[in-house]
Amino acid sequence: MKATRIIITAMTLKWAYRAANAIRGFASSVIACGIEADIERELKPSETPDGRPGISVMIFAMSIKDLEKHVATRVGQSVMTTATTACYSGLESDKKVSMGKSLRFFGDGYQISKVINGKRFWRIPVMHGEFICEETTGVTKAIGGGNFLVLAKTARHGLAACEKAVDEIQKVPGVITAFPGGVVGSGSKVGSKYKFLTASTNEAYCPTLKGQVKSELSDEIGSVLEIVIDGLDEASINEAMRVGIQAACSFGPAKGICRISAGNYGGNLGPHLFHLRKLLK
Amino acid sequence: MSALTFTLKNQPEFTLNVASLIPENLAGKTLAKIKSLAVIYGNETVKLGTLFTVKGTDPSQIFIEKSTQKLINIGQGMTEGSITIKGDAGDYLGQGMKGGTLTVSGNVGCWAGNAMSGGRINIIGNAGDYVGAGLPGDSFGMTNGLINIKGNAGDRVGDRMRRGIIIIQGKAGNYCGSRLHAGTIIVLDKVGKLPGEGMRRGSIILAKKPELLSATFKSCGNLKMQFLRLLFTQLASIDKELALFSKYGPEAHRFSGDLARNGKGEILILQHYK
Repeated sequence: MKATRIIITAMTLKWAYRAANAIRGFASSVIACGIEADIERELKPSETPDGRPGISVMIFAMSIKDLEKHVATRVGQSVMTTATTACYSGLESDKKVSMGKSLRFFGDGYQISKVINGKRFWRIPVMHGEFICEETTGVTKAIGGGNFLVLAKTARHGLAACEKAVDEIQKVPGVITAFPGGVVGSGSKVGSKYKFLTASTNEAYCPTLKGQVKSELSDEIGSVLEIVIDGLDEASINEAMRVGIQAACSFGPAKGICRISAGNYGGNLGPHLFHLRKLLK
Repeated sequence: MSALTFTLKNQPEFTLNVASLIPENLAGKTLAKIKSLAVIYGNETVKLGTLFTVKGTDPSQIFIEKSTQKLINIGQGMTEGSITIKGDAGDYLGQGMKGGTLTVSGNVGCWAGNAMSGGRINIIGNAGDYVGAGLPGDSFGMTNGLINIKGNAGDRVGDRMRRGIIIIQGKAGNYCGSRLHAGTIIVLDKVGKLPGEGMRRGSIILAKKPELLSATFKSCGNLKMQFLRLLFTQLASIDKELALFSKYGPEAHRFSGDLARNGKGEILILQHYK
């Protein structure tokens, strides 16, 4: 996968969050959304290019072309439209995708380019004042789809453990959990009996199909939730999975957590393998 | 390794072109070879060693001591390393400079940083006319880089400048930013008459109202310019010497112009202290 990090700033953190939440909307899976995106963390004013409060958002796509298309569209429709915002690159890299370079045309000839400290910024006059956007954002190779499954007695038990796991994962820099709340309620397998589908329900982990298919679930398991992690490198995904699994396991059987597993999808999802037992050693 | 240091033996009577004293020219040369380099003194070509004592070993750090305004073209076309001038410097300081750092402890002549395309010039004293400008016949003045002047600057700062940043912590003369194509000029003290005359694009940021503003600039009112916040924060992040703007907020009176050209440049007069 390819990834970028953008920094959204605004007059207040509340408005930076509004833009960040808009950009990460409908960005849970590359399968149908084109990208996977989520908030990485809040940034203090001292950490942002313009000294205002900000949010860093990470965006993952299958190719640079996909990333370029979606970054420009989403920054244009989600960030530029949010009052008082500005958008900057949060990743230094030789490879870049357009951001302000595409959006500047919204300025209809009144846009102004500024090169400061070797970086080009576009000042686009808008009704709230000026929307400032860095020309490009850096792109790096990244890993998507690191995952583990929390097998619980009930959805209530599983969700409590997953919420804690996601809280811990969010403390690890360089990773995101792009699905809503960081938890997948409908984990998929690669492929389908239908030729037009690239992913379909993972029946081996569906509790309602236990008696109907070759199930991976024992009798006591009534709900399976998945946590999917995208990260900039293997080490950060390793760390995120480790803290996530430990957090989920801390609930134990007494609180309805029966097993931790992971989907390897027959090795069809990608070259990276994360062995759960090795992670916890 | 110690810095390669050139000390003037006597005050030169004529202008002395020391364009050859740049790090990339001196790299790999012995002291004897350096002393035998030709420099243009007045209308003659003389050996460097007859005018300077030379010591040190590191050509990436050059010091010129006892410098005067007779030394011209210092740092011309340099691309890397640093040149530190103790004393004054003459005209054409950093002409066509592409990289590296030039620092002058005294005053400099005219045309400092003309046609520079990268790097940084620090002038502790005052600078003459045409800082960052283009020579007659050139299409553009400086096309990138940063010039930071602690003192005052003369007339026509940034004439035909294309890109880059000029900061003048003192006063600037008349026609500051004349015929500006783009780029940013900041003046933190008074500025003379008719700044931005004939400018096409670019920003002239003034801490004080100019003596006279051309009628071809149109007021856009007092505005919070987010760009100023970005610019000031970014300059402060380059180094502490450029953290000069903590007392200025993003509010500015914006004038767009020069309408006699195409009116897409701006003069921002900083309005409020924080």
